[in-house]
Amino acid sequence: MSLLRNGQNGVVTKEMEEVAAQEKVSPEFIRQGVAEGKIVILKNANHSNAVPLAVGEGLRTKVSASVGLYGKDASIDHELEKIKAAVNAGTDAIMDLSVTGEIDAMRKEVLATVSKPVGTLPLYQAMANASRKNGSPLKMTVEDIFEAIEAQAAEGVAFLALHCGTTMDIVERAKREGRIDPLVSYGGSHLIGWMIHNQRENPLYENFDRVLEIAKKYDVTLSFADSMRPGCLADSLDGSQVQELVVLGELVQRTRDAGIQVMVKGPGHVPLNQVKTTIKLQKSLCKNAPYFVFGPLVTDTGVGHDHISAAIGGAVASWAGADFICYVTPAEHIGIPNTDQVREGVVAARIAAHCGDLAKGMPGAINWDLEMSIARKELDWDKQISLAIDPGTAQRIWKERSDDFSSKCTMCGQFCAMEIISQYLNTDTKYGC
Amino acid sequence: MTQMLNARAGKITEEMEKVAIHENVDVKFIRKGIAEGTIVIPKNKNRDRSKICGIGEGLDIKVNALIGTSSDRAQVEMEARKLKVAEEAGCNSFMDLSTGGDIDGMRRQTLSLTNVAVGSVPLYQAGVEAIHKYGSVVDMRPDDLFQTIEKQAADGLDFMAIHSALSLDVLRTLQKTGRVTEVVSRGGSFLTGWMFHNQKENPLLEQFNRLLAIMKKYDVVLSVGDAVRPGCTADSLDQVQLKGLMLAGDLVKRALEAGVQVMVEGPGHVPLNHIESTILLQKRLCYNVPYYVLGFLATDIAPGYDHITGAIGGAYAAMCGADFLCYLTPAEHLGLPNEEDVRAGVMATRIAAHAADITRGRKKASDRDLQMAKARVSLDTDKQIELAIDSNSLLEAKAMDTDNAGCDCAVCGPDCSATIAAKYFGMA
Repeated sequence: MSLLRNGQNGVVTKEMEEVAAQEKVSPEFIRQGVAEGKIVILKNANHSNAVPLAVGEGLRTKVSASVGLYGKDASIDHELEKIKAAVNAGTDAIMDLSVTGEIDAMRKEVLATVSKPVGTLPLYQAMANASRKNGSPLKMTVEDIFEAIEAQAAEGVAFLALHCGTTMDIVERAKREGRIDPLVSYGGSHLIGWMIHNQRENPLYENFDRVLEIAKKYDVTLSFADSMRPGCLADSLDGSQVQELVVLGELVQRTRDAGIQVMVKGPGHVPLNQVKTTIKLQKSLCKNAPYFVFGPLVTDTGVGHDHISAAIGGAVASWAGADFICYVTPAEHIGIPNTDQVREGVVAARIAAHCGDLAKGMPGAINWDLEMSIARKELDWDKQISLAIDPGTAQRIWKERSDDFSSKCTMCGQFCAMEIISQYLNTDTKYGC
Repeated sequence: MTQMLNARAGKITEEMEKVAIHENVDVKFIRKGIAEGTIVIPKNKNRDRSKICGIGEGLDIKVNALIGTSSDRAQVEMEARKLKVAEEAGCNSFMDLSTGGDIDGMRRQTLSLTNVAVGSVPLYQAGVEAIHKYGSVVDMRPDDLFQTIEKQAADGLDFMAIHSALSLDVLRTLQKTGRVTEVVSRGGSFLTGWMFHNQKENPLLEQFNRLLAIMKKYDVVLSVGDAVRPGCTADSLDQVQLKGLMLAGDLVKRALEAGVQVMVEGPGHVPLNHIESTILLQKRLCYNVPYYVLGFLATDIAPGYDHITGAIGGAYAAMCGADFLCYLTPAEHLGLPNEEDVRAGVMATRIAAHAADITRGRKKASDRDLQMAKARVSLDTDKQIELAIDSNSLLEAKAMDTDNAGCDCAVCGPDCSATIAAKYFGMA
């Protein structure tokens, strides 16, 4: 029986207990959230070394890092190194979005080595297979798609990103309305090309019941990908985006009725004053299904610093109710991130997630900030470093930017504010600085 | 006459005209804003420079960078390099916060090397000199302090952070209520130590008229220092902060009455859900004068990445009405920033400011994003380089030919389905 059905039947499963312990909430809270569809637990029974992860309302906001083979120079080893960096930096999940080379081998390697839930976008493999088998991705058959989906679910993928809501009607609307950038989503663009070439409705929409059957068989969480996510501020909350969200809302209901867990993927590029509305709309139209957002980036002009642009949007999104943040690296809009950029992307996304959790009043987040502040007040450097979101980087900068890192900080030199005040307020300071 | 007194007399100065052209607004709007106090133009009478900026309601958000020596690291050359890096990165102003070495020399170097507004915290120099002269900051003489302020004003500083909004009453509240990180402002801590030790009122508060006279004489913008800003998210919007803000409001009123341009400094560490209230309270209690914020840092737990926590809080604060963002660098809470940190700090803060400008209806900002989106769709790399806030990484990618204009995946092959979609949308 699926996690959702168990939840609905009042059964607390082992996975629910595990995530409850991680989140420091009651198993009953998890069970109820899963039953209502507000929480999903990412776990595929066939990925035995992965720890289950819960995503949704009332829980810590999670972070996902995307890697994958792309381009001539890509290698599995290099991608595995990036995964290691992402996991060390604290990502909660990995998405393997390989589009070139040994897509199968890469995914198998990822599943064998990563103890986090893994997500994929099976359309890439379906199209690559069709290219190989039939000579063109345009000759991809409906069977090709479902074969790829089933193969990946069987291997242990915990969440499947599928562009189920991109209907021909929406594609036509995007053209009619003059979207600035109608081809933002990589998978979505290819799917749309296939639909136009073959003059056929989206097979994932037309055959949605088959998607559900596979998901049910392996109890995989569906992650609805959006082809019409805004790729620039000017396209945010346009007709195409909202219409796709409406369709996804209908599919969320069908998924839940089938006893399958589902979350929805979102933006994209969103002006800061539209972030809250975007989240509220998704929550309302998609019946409080967890929202998995890319960024959002709050400007189109931050290239080279898009992890920061995304952290701004992601923090406000997390506060407004987004549950899962897909990282953005400094290489966004330029090229493929290297290992260092992967780390930066994960940390920036974690900062955003945490800022949202703090604003929501999550006790774990509040305590973390408080502990850090007390360590600052006490000038306890070891503790400050260990509490830092990225202790390695904090330690390195501290050592490099301070002349005498064993005790003083260069910031104030001998005129440390904390020290002066402690003398006069008679509060205890472990003099270090 | 100060800009404010000119504005009130209906006179449009050369500086107002420059600001109006730069901001693409009617100069009457600038004049009115300055007369009412919602806009300031930091421009000392004694200092000539070409880059003039306005700060306040209806204008683009401005970005400030901090530089300066400390007692442990007094390398004037390094600070000169940082000035160059920060100005090239696009900051609108500097504050020289030097506390080590030749403070006078450092300040004069800053004033001569930059073409943007420069501010300072004169209390630092007065405090450090008191330590050298008398052995302790608590022995600082009020007259020394005012002499330092006058000396710095005469040198040409365009704005000064002065911690007048701290009183024995505020400190009593601090003692009563307790705080996690009591006073994190260095100037605030100097004064707190002085006030407790001498059991005397804050001289910058007691002799506020004397201060106003100096500000007026040189037309220095008074930036009311935030001595009791929250130093951690747990202290945000507590009684101490609010008392400090109310006192700042009283002083703003007096400055406005005296015809002195004035803005108010703010936090510090503020959780996202406190930002809107923080800004609203400042604007309400401080007569809508510009709000100059440090950050805000939206969390305490990310040393090494505080340019990012600052960008998060800064963007949201500016959207809610903050007018002037002081940058944070990755070295915040860890040490003194180097050139690389300074550049990262300016860029992160400019992104925050720009993101907020878009939400504040600044057409130039949203147009730039639209042009960038179109340049991406048309794969026009040169245009993207021109429109990027920081074009460095695109330039590097172009040089290495690693930009993503080309397509290289097994999915596409010769029959790329995305290309077909692009043709359909008229993009190919």
